[in-house]
Amino acid sequence: MPRRTRRARRVRRGLTIGLLVVASIAIITLDYRGQAHGVISGVKRDAHNAFAPIQRGVDAVAHPVGSFLSGAVHGGDLEAQNAKLRREIGALEQQTLMTQATRNQLRALQRLDQLPWLGGIPTVTAQVTALNSSDFAATVQLDKGSTNGVALDMPVVGGAGLVGQVIEVWSSGCTVRLVTDVDSSIGVRFGSGGNLALVEGSGLGRPLAVNLVAPGTALHRGEILTTSGLQHAQYPADIPVARITSDSSTPSATQESVSAQPVANLSDLEYVDVLQWSSAP
Amino acid sequence: MTRSGASPRVSGALTTGDVARSTIVILVVLVVQNTVLDAVRVGGAHPDLMLLLPVAAGYRAGPDRGAVFGFFAGLVADLFLPTPFGLSALVGCLLGFATGTATRGLVRSSWWLPAVVAVAATAAGMGAYAILGAVLGDPGMLKAYLAPALVVSTPFAALAAVPVLRFVSWAVPEPGPSHHVPTGGGLR
Repeated sequence: MPRRTRRARRVRRGLTIGLLVVASIAIITLDYRGQAHGVISGVKRDAHNAFAPIQRGVDAVAHPVGSFLSGAVHGGDLEAQNAKLRREIGALEQQTLMTQATRNQLRALQRLDQLPWLGGIPTVTAQVTALNSSDFAATVQLDKGSTNGVALDMPVVGGAGLVGQVIEVWSSGCTVRLVTDVDSSIGVRFGSGGNLALVEGSGLGRPLAVNLVAPGTALHRGEILTTSGLQHAQYPADIPVARITSDSSTPSATQESVSAQPVANLSDLEYVDVLQWSSAP
Repeated sequence: MTRSGASPRVSGALTTGDVARSTIVILVVLVVQNTVLDAVRVGGAHPDLMLLLPVAAGYRAGPDRGAVFGFFAGLVADLFLPTPFGLSALVGCLLGFATGTATRGLVRSSWWLPAVVAVAATAAGMGAYAILGAVLGDPGMLKAYLAPALVVSTPFAALAAVPVLRFVSWAVPEPGPSHHVPTGGGLR
């Protein structure tokens, strides 16, 4: 190959990757600085809206196919009578399990109906449809969106306490950032003196970090931290957030080293309430 | 390799059919990722099929097309992720380019080569994603999420490398003769 052609190819290659990197950085910058955030949010919303029927369709197809394959594999080597009996037993077991599942769902919904700390805040009850879409964020997706009255930044609670906050909304669903996500930061209050602190996420399955606790502050293991509800806070007051699990202090430290566990069972979320609440402007 | 025995395009230009097939590949993998793989969760992480697309494109068609394919695959993935918009596109184009550059001179006769390339590239891509996320002000991506993501995604990359490469090969044409990569066994 002539040397000139090779050099031209190298230049073209450099230009291609250079242009793509510059384009990517420009998109990230525009999104970060908020100049194109509205446009990008709109495109993401449209993409979610377009994708929702496909997701539902694939789920609807995959479920019966899975059941059929499972039945075919397990039924092939059975004699006719045994197969019939097993089918009957299977149907009865399925009925029992379904009853149990229905009972569990009913219990979860009843728990949501009796949350004492909601006050008069209107809620939208939603079902968790998917867990985090990225390995680099702790989020869940719900089946209720803007058409149901869900909006950006609304708090989300589970049976026991705070679950997270809505960070993306489209017409038929939304994404919720869990309290365990590293970008989650919640102002909390604890103790009889109403001490204030900041609860921050450390990643899925890891304990929450409780920061800004002054050295020597009286803390008890198992003590509940509730949302502070201070002015401009992102959450209404008195929602249970976490339970203190450990507390230690060193003489030179500027704050106590405190860990906590979320009170809501984030690994087993099924139904949640989205609070139709927004912080004071 | 040439598809269906046809000779490689001398100009190396993409056709409308190539673009259409590439779009189909990206959309199909996106659907599989969002409907099936996102539900497979180990230690809070799930396998990442979208990250294998630029790797396969770079391996198959060289750095230029790997970068372009990775950019668009990343941009589509970004639509459904809560992380900074454009980050997957940036990582995708870098990964496609790097894979294409690193594997250009390799003799591809070993059956295990695609799996090794996929594992190394996935680990590098995950690392780049976390580091860039940390640079953009989210240090937790590096400290909290990278380790479980690597543990889950790299073994999956080894398993999925060959099927993904075959699927991407259907869509992304091999570059012209000047880019010629020795044909042999392995992926082709």
